[in-house]
Amino acid sequence: MVNSTVQVLPLAIVVGLFAIFIISGLRHHARKQSEYGLSGVYTGRIGIGAAIASNWMSAASFLGLAGMFYLKGYFAMAFVVGWTGGYVLLLVLMASQIRRFGKFSAPDFVGFRYESEGARTLTAFILIIITIIYSVAQFRGIALLVSWLLGIGYVPAVIVGSLLLVMFVVVSGTLGATRNQQLQYFVLITAFILPLMLLTRKLGYFWILPQFGYGAAISDLYLQFGFAWSEPFLNTTLFQWLALCFTLMFGTAGLPHVLSRFYAVPGIRDARWGVVWGLFFIALIYWSAPAYGVLARLFEARNNIPFNAGDGQAADMVVLTAATLGGLPVWVIGLLAAGGMSAAFSASAGLLLSGAASFSYDIYPRLIRRDASENDKIFAAKGFFLIMAAIVTVLTLKPWGVIAEIAAFAFALAGNTIFPAFLLGIWWCRANSTGVISGMLTGVVITFMPFILGDALPMVSRLFPVTSSAFIGAPLVMIVMIVVSRLTAPPSEEMRLFLARDVHDCQ
Amino acid sequence: MDENTTGKSFSFFRPRGETMRRETRVIKMILAGWLIAIVGSQIYVYLLEVNYSALLLDEWTFFNLPIHFWLTGQFLPLWFIIICGLFNFWMDRHASNVNSLDGSLRFRVKSAGEEEDSW
Repeated sequence: MVNSTVQVLPLAIVVGLFAIFIISGLRHHARKQSEYGLSGVYTGRIGIGAAIASNWMSAASFLGLAGMFYLKGYFAMAFVVGWTGGYVLLLVLMASQIRRFGKFSAPDFVGFRYESEGARTLTAFILIIITIIYSVAQFRGIALLVSWLLGIGYVPAVIVGSLLLVMFVVVSGTLGATRNQQLQYFVLITAFILPLMLLTRKLGYFWILPQFGYGAAISDLYLQFGFAWSEPFLNTTLFQWLALCFTLMFGTAGLPHVLSRFYAVPGIRDARWGVVWGLFFIALIYWSAPAYGVLARLFEARNNIPFNAGDGQAADMVVLTAATLGGLPVWVIGLLAAGGMSAAFSASAGLLLSGAASFSYDIYPRLIRRDASENDKIFAAKGFFLIMAAIVTVLTLKPWGVIAEIAAFAFALAGNTIFPAFLLGIWWCRANSTGVISGMLTGVVITFMPFILGDALPMVSRLFPVTSSAFIGAPLVMIVMIVVSRLTAPPSEEMRLFLARDVHDCQ
Repeated sequence: MDENTTGKSFSFFRPRGETMRRETRVIKMILAGWLIAIVGSQIYVYLLEVNYSALLLDEWTFFNLPIHFWLTGQFLPLWFIIICGLFNFWMDRHASNVNSLDGSLRFRVKSAGEEEDSW
């Protein structure tokens, strides 16, 4: 997709959209200061749902998922099911209960529940690692879009994209703009579905619901070009599919920025119904994403462009490829690019800010400077934000996979560490600090084991694939937590009383 | 202190008190519906692929999509929304009948220097 010319109109649309977001954020900020710290302003359960969906949308959803369909066909359905099914776990096992703890971040929750500063600090470190990995996926998306918009190569685009992100955070922070998440979701969904409707209409398919209409493209690919999507497990196994799917589900239920939504909503009922609406809004994107992958393949086949399964950059840009090869107007392509840029920017800015806050609040005053003042903590947060941005930039220069795969690795880490800690912390009163620390450390080892032992022991990579290790890993971590907790002293009587009386209403 | 010496021991599989027992019963039903749908649909798709020709999966369409695309990509997310909605309806009724705690924050964190307090 890289050409050497600047895409003037799309660039103007991207700049205009960000200006609208900042102005809207300033209006919101002036009208009503948020009481909840982590959130924007809420307008009922649908608004909460839109905020959850907006918070969730990232380069992985907007660009990466379509790229996975383009590359892997039916296998990518594991992402759709994993990233939606995780919300069921979140709702029924965690949403209400987390609220009853009244803690506002994952380290806060773990520190309070397990009565352990060590567990809290470990959670903060893990959260920062998750943030860095997940941000690499976002930075890659930003870099690819910047590369296309400015007509520059990938490496300079990574640098420019990172600088733009830091500038965006600084400008937003200096002006005091808060995110208007409802507006952002509306823009994202419009930017994603409108081009799809235009594409399917142009092809003569059922365009009113392009989420179904793209089925005709699958038939056309088969009838005209002999390309079959009809053997779902031809190149992968059922185990691989389920392992990826469940890893993404466990990770969804353990991702700190997803969990934080439940701390930030006024009532438990609102939080619960917000999840349902959020899931619906997220599903709207995921029902549509496969269409881009399929249509990109169709347009390439019609234009005699050979399919290259090893071209990750092409895969991550198929949303724009489909729109470009489909002959859509430039302003529509610009809207699509603006949507992708907005999703990647807000996801990475939010993640890096929460990682910086975690450092300044959970690590800096506890491990580095015990007498740190509030000003020191703010300074530390700013400094660590820049350090993390620099680390992510360097890692993005040579990423280890396509956007969705990098994101899945972050989900695997969350699924192997935060998810078991929360699940047993809420539902088993005997889980203690030694158990959770042992479990989370085991989870970290399991997540990184394929990198360390994968070559020497191929079985490790088969059982714990890089993107899918939590399928077996999370249950293993829970077993470790249970065994270690059983062998060591139980939590305090006060904590068990709190869990029984205040979290679960045991009579 | 052994777990059993306190009167407050519980787990997901050993709920304590009527409220928790009812809640975990519903959660187990929802999770069963969630798990069976995911694993069952994939086993079904796998068996279709193994036992029938690939052509059948392409020709057997539902709402314009090959059956495996529709079942996994369209139906499962819809199913998740449905079971989440059912859970919420049950929780709304259950919470209003059994206790008045749903809808309130028990604790909150105050600014630095203040003690935690309950609402």
